[in-house]
Amino acid sequence: MSAPATQATKSTSMWTNLRELPANVWRSLFRNPIPSSDLERASTSFTNFFLHIHPVKVHRNTLRPLYSMGLGLISFFLFLILTVTGVLLMFYYVPSTTQAYDRMLDLRGTVAFGIFLRNMHRWSAHGMVGVVVLHMCRVFFTGSHKQPREFNWVVGVLLFLLTLFSSFTGYLLPWDQLAFWAITVGTAIAGYAPVIGKQVQFLLLGDTTVGQEALLRFYVLHVAVLPLVMALLVAIHFWRIRKDGGLSRPEEPAAALAAPGETPVAVLSLAFDAPLEEPVNVMHPPNPAKAPWYFLGLQEMVSYSAFWGGVGIPTIFVLLLLAAPYLERGSAGVGKWFARERLLANTVFLTFALINVIFVIIGTFFRGPNWEFISPFK
Amino acid sequence: MRLALALASFVILLIHGLVFYNQFFHKWENYQTAYFDQARALSKTDAEKAALAARSPRIEQSLVTKFGDMRVDRCVTCHVAMDDPRFDKHAQPLRTHPYSASLGDTLANGKWERRHKFSDFGCTVCHDGQGRGLKEHYSHGEDHYWPDPLAGYIVQANWRKEFQPKLKGKDYMQANCAQCHTEEGFPGTPMVDRGRKLFFASNCYGCHRIDGLSEGTLGPDLSEVGKKFKTDYLWESVVDPRANLATSFMPKFNLSDDDVRAVVIFLKSRRGINFAETSLERYRAALNARKPSAEAGKEPVLAGAALAARGEKLIADRACTACHKLGQRDGGVAPDLSFEGLMKPQQWIEEHFRNPRATIADSIMPTFRFSDADFAAMSAYLAGLKTAPALPTPAETYKTLCQRCHGEKGDGHGTIAIYLDPYPRDLTKAGFINSKTMDRLSNSVKHGVAGTSMPAWGAVLKDDQVRGVLEYVFATYTKEPRKELKPLKAPDSNPVASNADSIRRGEETFVRRCSGCHGRKADGKGPNSLDILPRPRNLRNSAFVNSVSDRRLFESILYGVQGSAMPSWIDYGLSQNDVGDLVNFIRSINAQSSSRSSNARGN
Repeated sequence: MSAPATQATKSTSMWTNLRELPANVWRSLFRNPIPSSDLERASTSFTNFFLHIHPVKVHRNTLRPLYSMGLGLISFFLFLILTVTGVLLMFYYVPSTTQAYDRMLDLRGTVAFGIFLRNMHRWSAHGMVGVVVLHMCRVFFTGSHKQPREFNWVVGVLLFLLTLFSSFTGYLLPWDQLAFWAITVGTAIAGYAPVIGKQVQFLLLGDTTVGQEALLRFYVLHVAVLPLVMALLVAIHFWRIRKDGGLSRPEEPAAALAAPGETPVAVLSLAFDAPLEEPVNVMHPPNPAKAPWYFLGLQEMVSYSAFWGGVGIPTIFVLLLLAAPYLERGSAGVGKWFARERLLANTVFLTFALINVIFVIIGTFFRGPNWEFISPFK
Repeated sequence: MRLALALASFVILLIHGLVFYNQFFHKWENYQTAYFDQARALSKTDAEKAALAARSPRIEQSLVTKFGDMRVDRCVTCHVAMDDPRFDKHAQPLRTHPYSASLGDTLANGKWERRHKFSDFGCTVCHDGQGRGLKEHYSHGEDHYWPDPLAGYIVQANWRKEFQPKLKGKDYMQANCAQCHTEEGFPGTPMVDRGRKLFFASNCYGCHRIDGLSEGTLGPDLSEVGKKFKTDYLWESVVDPRANLATSFMPKFNLSDDDVRAVVIFLKSRRGINFAETSLERYRAALNARKPSAEAGKEPVLAGAALAARGEKLIADRACTACHKLGQRDGGVAPDLSFEGLMKPQQWIEEHFRNPRATIADSIMPTFRFSDADFAAMSAYLAGLKTAPALPTPAETYKTLCQRCHGEKGDGHGTIAIYLDPYPRDLTKAGFINSKTMDRLSNSVKHGVAGTSMPAWGAVLKDDQVRGVLEYVFATYTKEPRKELKPLKAPDSNPVASNADSIRRGEETFVRRCSGCHGRKADGKGPNSLDILPRPRNLRNSAFVNSVSDRRLFESILYGVQGSAMPSWIDYGLSQNDVGDLVNFIRSINAQSSSRSSNARGN
């Protein structure tokens, strides 16, 4: 241990300092020279915060692209896109009922890159909801939620709910007809809960109807509370993967996954503008007034029974999800798509998932004025 | 994997290129550059040339705070030559905004001076459109989500094709002129004026409320209709009232396209509070509109011919013929008043005037708020119309008196039938016509049917004429030969005494057996009623219920009504006592009038 001491005490000339500047910056950043052996690579990873996100060792089999399909990382990258574009959008947005819509018009027409930012944000948000659902399906069908990863599954379910809620709170912010009535419908669904329903609805809206208070609340939730909680949970999610004995995601092609994650979003954002409907008109609801697409399954069920469709069944569904790894013990079928040993569990999950998908499709395409059945093909 | 990565990276690079191109190369820059170049060529002094050369493209906008919420109008970013008179022959967007004396612009020393300066007014105050946008599609309001497309210039893609050409034209901008120039007869807004006149002439005001103008309550409030709806929707609502609401009973008025246009422009100008008034003035106007006018009590008391003459004038002024028929004028919506004095006593007419639904339970006639003297005068005039028309043949009689309701084919679908409730009888239904005695049918013709729009023709037609027109109906429409009718077994008056117990039993039976068609409220609007023609009877129509005998009620319930959906309940196990309870229940929900027994006709 004498070499570093002599090095530190050895005075150097300015010229040498300048000459060694790039190497020193590199060393201060990564704390290691460019690694040349496995040991050095491991050491570099261990001692660097960013590289440490990846584990040093990954089992060869978890790297097969078709095993995890990179869905977890894609949703993480979408989260990053959302954070970056969201922060940029915040510079232009005012959560005020008189200004919000005008700001949207400015973003669309005048602000440089405004429309592109908004499109990126919108389509990433929709994409993230979809990818997170697919990620959850993948985890379940490969049995990855079973012990010892039960708790991480619970964190994942919470993240799924937060994703939905983030997307939902963001839906109101443009303050157009689409936003206003979707949130009116969405919060009305919350109001169907017994005993506390009306209070929850009031807490969300800060009023009996959607208005300035609701806009402000949704804004604060959307830009501060939810992203912070999500970032925290994402960190725990990643950390637990490691602590629970390895991850089921490939390490090396991370960049490649970022690219498939961003490419479709960027293409979408260029080709399709995020919708911006009429300014809010409280007296003139669209017919039908529809919730955001991922809640249309709920709205469809609500059309049969307000309590069961809006509150009862979703609550049971979430509780089942949370309890799944605790009800299904043992390590049978872990790490295998549609393992024969888990036929029952997979079938039940698939059934629930398909019912939801079918309801969302019906709610989105087959419901016309007065929520009557229509054919979208005419 | 590497290939995919490389491809994805390349696509991302490409997209970034496209995005940057989109965001930094704007059409409006080209317009401005073109303007600078052409203006430089036209300019005469070096200083002007230098000034133009120094200008570089930028977003131009006018902020207008005087008219409602702040407006940000960036229209001049493309229409940069708006105020440059040298560009009056150029193509858009580089054309000068026209100068015109009718807009108040003044010509002095060969130079025009604008009355409405763009710096004060901006653009969208007059033109509509979306001032903030910089792309034609959005700023002109072609995007179908935008509530106010350029008035009279832009029709949105989802508007009804047949209306689109009618919704173009500069006159649509008059609706915006009227936001400041509210006075009637303002020369710049002839279409708004014409529309306002039509609003009163066609009796729109009887049903619709417009703050400060009218107080109708039957139809939707139109005070802010111009703010809420686009011209396409307004046009559709005027010419096809049922397009948006299948149950609307608003009549289709026979207006020319020009009239509809005027009405639409007038309605478009109704945006609640306008720029010319303060909210306090608006409140005062609304308060005053509710008060009867000051002269109402001071009119001289008229009588006889003078009263009738005043009534005639009132009826002409108030455009009753926008709906009713009176002599040669026919609004095509409501019954014929030409021989009203022969059919209705003056008292009935006046009662109907004051509250149309007191005499005909489901009438759509608005309740007009005229003064008592006016009601008396109009009733006196109508009651004096006692000239019977010449009716040489039964066919002629049918055509003159019956066809307007019962229809050319006798099927009950006359021109005004859809506005009548109950619906006129379908005379082609042999099941019904042939199951009723001659007495009952001729009674209906002679004395009318109380509580419905069927008037009493007894004073117009002689007995042989009544028989003649009935024979004509049998031969022409019913066609099946009449059969000998067997008398039905039914009591002449209800054998079950009416008391609380009986009524309660009757109500239970009613809810169980009858409410599917007649409705829980017995108003004839049960869940099945829409699928049934003729519609189930409204049993709360007191005028009707009180006019029919117990015997007729018993017969209709026990043996059904042939040619209608009313079944024979004796086959479904209702005893005479059950029917007695039902009759007591039905009587109990209709206010009893002493005249019932004297009016009772039945068969």
